[in-house]
Amino acid sequence: MRDGEIQASRVWKRFRADRQRQLLRDQLDRVRRRLSGGSNAHGWRWALRDVDMAVGPGESIGLIGPNGSGKTTMLRMLAKVMYPYAGRVAVGGRVGALIDVRAGIHPDLTGAENVYLYGSLLGVSRREVARKFDEIVAFGELETAIDRQVKFYSSGMHVRLGFAIAAFTEPDVLLVDEVLAVGDAAFQQKCLDRMRAVLAQGTTVVFVSHDLQAVESICERAIWLRDGVVESDGPVREVLGDYRRTVEQAAEILTPAFGLVRVVKSEIRGPGGDTPVSQQPLEVKLVLESPEPLWASMSIGVSEGPATPIFLLGHEAMLPAGQTELRCSIPFLPLPRGRFYLWFGIIESTRDLVPWHPVGQFEVLGPELTPTPRGILRMAPVQVTPTWEVEQR
Amino acid sequence: MSAASSRVTEPPADILFRLKVRVVPAIREVWQRRELVRTLAERDLRVRYKQAVLGVAWSVLTPLALMVVFTVFFQRVAKVDTGGAQYALFTYLGLLPWTFFSTSVSQGGQSLVVNNQLVNKVYCPREVFPLASMAVAAVDTALATLVLGLLFAVTEFMPKPTTLWVPVLLAVQVAFTFGVTLVLSAVLVFLRDLRHVLPIILQLGLFATPVAYGMDVVTKSLQVPYSILNPLAPVIDGYRRTILLGLAPDWHLLGPAAVAAALWMAVGYVVFKRLEPGFADYA
Repeated sequence: MRDGEIQASRVWKRFRADRQRQLLRDQLDRVRRRLSGGSNAHGWRWALRDVDMAVGPGESIGLIGPNGSGKTTMLRMLAKVMYPYAGRVAVGGRVGALIDVRAGIHPDLTGAENVYLYGSLLGVSRREVARKFDEIVAFGELETAIDRQVKFYSSGMHVRLGFAIAAFTEPDVLLVDEVLAVGDAAFQQKCLDRMRAVLAQGTTVVFVSHDLQAVESICERAIWLRDGVVESDGPVREVLGDYRRTVEQAAEILTPAFGLVRVVKSEIRGPGGDTPVSQQPLEVKLVLESPEPLWASMSIGVSEGPATPIFLLGHEAMLPAGQTELRCSIPFLPLPRGRFYLWFGIIESTRDLVPWHPVGQFEVLGPELTPTPRGILRMAPVQVTPTWEVEQR
Repeated sequence: MSAASSRVTEPPADILFRLKVRVVPAIREVWQRRELVRTLAERDLRVRYKQAVLGVAWSVLTPLALMVVFTVFFQRVAKVDTGGAQYALFTYLGLLPWTFFSTSVSQGGQSLVVNNQLVNKVYCPREVFPLASMAVAAVDTALATLVLGLLFAVTEFMPKPTTLWVPVLLAVQVAFTFGVTLVLSAVLVFLRDLRHVLPIILQLGLFATPVAYGMDVVTKSLQVPYSILNPLAPVIDGYRRTILLGLAPDWHLLGPAAVAAALWMAVGYVVFKRLEPGFADYA
């Protein structure tokens, strides 16, 4: 097995579903059930079922999936913190795991004391920590706070301290679990830069995150876990595309049950009534039905992922009682090729006349978007046509 | 969802996971991470003394206070046969190993539960947690031993040359303590109730061990089984014989105790390793 390689085959893992109930009564109940020949599967929940994962040295893998799909459990097994119920997990070389970086940090110790503590937890010798101490402190931007007890740190500082120590451990395999969630934008970018640098050194990275943009900017490959099973495994853009689509479809099933105004029909059309084309006009047609005349402040949004729009269009108008047709035209559609979703809502401060929800989806034809360099977060895909001039001076 | 649940719902029996325990590599790994044991022990000491006004003095005050209590009560009430030694020294020599044992067991026993955040999220050989607790107890004992030196000076007592036997006694004491600590720390993860029972058991243990009294309280014919059940008894007896009385340890008792202590350590390690795969799931 080479350093930096991950081989997990047919991994199964289960947990007790009723963790709180450890009373004698329940234990006796369990024993009785087992003695009477019942299955012992009762009360267990499968977190992972038959998961395969093979990663070569230097690869960067994103693990995605909704909450409770088994991502963190998988990561913990790769980190050797947990053992599988069945199957085999093997990781070559030194493993560095950032699973809740705050775990190894003791609140009663100072930042400096914690640097040594967490460093040796991660398997770095004191001498090595001492050598990199200034670098670690600088990376975490903690120069002024390093001699203070950690219980007086803000939560952002807390995470920065943890990430800074872990980022300098130089493992063969780096496992990262949702550490970017806390910390301000500048620090997030710093973490991404650091991960990119680590990748450039040939380290294997497994990155768990709900932040799909971050996954896209770091990883070449993605594995989508759904209900403890691998749903798809492939190039990051494809897997993320599939994932977004399903999340979106799940959202669409939830047609709002409340809201005074109803969306009867929606239509999205490109030039000549055909499929929308990048950088061409687009027309959105909505038919609304209101029980009473209303002054409505409407919003239309277009999104790629769930709920967060790439752009928003707002308009205020009088809606008479009965059906109204609403037409909105865009002379120039700034989107690249891909699949997008149309969202609509009439939101007021006191009530939602129409809650923010997807009303349709559409395909856009046109050029593929310029790929982003690794480590750069693109918040949303926008198609911009530039003119470049490179001239010697 | 439907695709997932329609698949096999149980793993086939032939791929069930079993942790392979290889003793030599496991011990080597702990040895490689000895720095971590030191750091964890240092953490516990720092945290303990940061909050306490009297600081390090507490390491010494606990056995010292018990010594005073025992001296006042036992010496007056029950005439204990110390073989001619000062009762204060006699009981203090019993209190040192006992305090080491009871702090190791109570702190080390809870070490995996208390450090569940780490057990859950950071990989390291799990033995480091009970070992670090024992290291803390060892520091306490070392400090309390300094006080013993002070007591020698005050009572103008010169330790006998047979004191050279102490390392042997110490080895038996540490092996037994380590074995018990390992078993308890592992079992406690799954049986949290023990946490409440443990102080009571230790309280009783103080009186089931010849700390306040001497080995001669036990009937001669029962001394061997007693030593096997409680290896600390002949160890304490040995300290008194070698340091205070100038005699060699009583091998008829210490021998079986040493075997028992070695067994505790071996069995403790096996139990610990057997239960290890579940630590993170329950912690």
